[in-house]
Amino acid sequence: MDSTPSPGFGAITALLVVIACSVWLGTIAQKVISRGSFLSSYFLGNRGLGVWTMALTATVQSGGTFMGFPSLVYSHGWTVALWIGSYMIVPLTGFAVLGKRLAQISRRTGAITVPDLFGGRFNDRRVALVASLLILFFLTFMMIAQFKAGGLIMKISWPDSATLALVEDASASDIDYKYQIGLIIFAMTVVGYTLIGGFLASVWTDLFQSVLMFFGVVGLLVLTFSDPAVGSLEQATRAAVAQTNENYISFAGYAKDGRQFLTPALSISFFFVWIFGGMASPASISRVMASKDTGTLRRSIVVLGTYNGRIYVPRICICMAARVIYPDVANSDEIIPRMALWATRDLPIGSFWAGLILAAPFGAVMATVSSYLVVISSGVVHDIYQRFLRPEATELELKRATYLIMVLLGLVCWLANVQPVQYLQALVVFCTSGGAASFLVPAIMSAYWRRATHQGALAAMIGGAATVLGLFLLGISSSDPMIGQATRFRPYFLFGCEPVVWGIAVSAVLGVLVTLLSPPPEQHHVDRMFA
Amino acid sequence: MSELPDNPLVTSARREAIVVALIWLGTMLYTTFYCYVNGSNRTLDDITFVLGFPDWIFWGVIVPWYTCLAISAAFAYGFMRDDPLGDDEGHGEVADG
Repeated sequence: MDSTPSPGFGAITALLVVIACSVWLGTIAQKVISRGSFLSSYFLGNRGLGVWTMALTATVQSGGTFMGFPSLVYSHGWTVALWIGSYMIVPLTGFAVLGKRLAQISRRTGAITVPDLFGGRFNDRRVALVASLLILFFLTFMMIAQFKAGGLIMKISWPDSATLALVEDASASDIDYKYQIGLIIFAMTVVGYTLIGGFLASVWTDLFQSVLMFFGVVGLLVLTFSDPAVGSLEQATRAAVAQTNENYISFAGYAKDGRQFLTPALSISFFFVWIFGGMASPASISRVMASKDTGTLRRSIVVLGTYNGRIYVPRICICMAARVIYPDVANSDEIIPRMALWATRDLPIGSFWAGLILAAPFGAVMATVSSYLVVISSGVVHDIYQRFLRPEATELELKRATYLIMVLLGLVCWLANVQPVQYLQALVVFCTSGGAASFLVPAIMSAYWRRATHQGALAAMIGGAATVLGLFLLGISSSDPMIGQATRFRPYFLFGCEPVVWGIAVSAVLGVLVTLLSPPPEQHHVDRMFA
Repeated sequence: MSELPDNPLVTSARREAIVVALIWLGTMLYTTFYCYVNGSNRTLDDITFVLGFPDWIFWGVIVPWYTCLAISAAFAYGFMRDDPLGDDEGHGEVADG
């Protein structure tokens, strides 16, 4: 029998609180951005991000990963600590490799968007156009996947809901009127507050959910291990091994179907996926461009490092303890919601506190969608519409075009999810990999290589993106190699590695070769960027 | 025409990026190699627990994680330099290509 306490009205109340706070933050952001020129303030917050908004929003994960990571720990065991282990270095790589230079170049070129940055640095409109199109392609897929997550979280938060978490492949029975209403509320909320407050609304709601997640995880850790039913972490691990087998405490990891969750090549791959996926994503680059000064980037390293250290390891411990309380959960995505309800069962208004913990992934999904709305709409309006179609457009015209694009994007994502997309988590990995393979090498060339040319940057972008896309297409049509996560939307693991490794390698080789084969850039332009 | 020397921010950022790349490489090699060598085919009979963590996770992930946090703090406050970013100079104008 399921011993999980009912969420009652706690979860839906907490979600409504999160929605209300997000809209409120959007209205405050609107007042702040009205002080500057539209483009610079709406899309880049007047380059005024401080330590907290920078540290806790620039490289933090999407909502899908918030739900997926605990599920993997519960399912596969201790090796998932190694799978996510590269996050130990994310604060350094996220801010200290490209941060200072990209922030400087964006000021020297007056860049407001990521395509703007590349176009200005290489002094070529085609670079900006290709960057815009790649962002549009990868981020739209990502946003469509996130909309589904938003709709499903709204559905499971209904008081009489029978499930507690989104599942990657929702069955027909999951797509009912509750899901459709949830999807509409989610779409209207996130498009609404982003439209009102632009970049700052996106950043502030992201910060809000990060803080919510921090207190949720720390509170859940304390409540879990202070309960005599759980015992110690070692006892929980021994109980987990008794329920599974000894792969649960081994490098390969446990899986019911016998697959090898982690191999040496995959464990190295994830030091590429998480590191470069965070460093080179357009949303992260645009936030680094908005940094107030270099001191902000410096101090953000310490704040994010401390945050990550208190978020990831505790969540692994909580999922181990979950094996004692819930030995065999059919849908492992439900594990954190179940533990939240269980741990708060004796507290006054316990279901509300549990609801706040459940609301954190919802906030994360909203924040992710919001940041993509800003990045995509800025790319379309500033880098395509204004640059190529109507250079003489007035500020009012640009404002209207931005609002129109955001509403259209919301409509497209909503329509795409009326019959929802499948393979949510796999789509997130695909888009993250595609972004990293497209933009990492051009960003490094921009920052540190005087000789780099626009031809080299174009080759690097297109080559990286095509490699990732090709390996995913090949993987879908190949047989299951029985490594990594079980999903039908899987890539082809060339020599056992994730596609991002090959995407970055191809991008680097093409970027260097094509640059060396093309005429050097104009000296005065390079001096403007470097001297 | 000879090229102008790099701006001080470019020099410091490049130096910092190289150091971070070396830290990333060292962390990746140590963590994956240590975990693979010491974490493969473990059983409850031969494993030990340190502060509740399986020994290979403790020494292969947890200790490096918090060591990285200390290194990050030392890097941010002792090595990384503050430089002026400058003002907005252009308006995103680029050549027709």
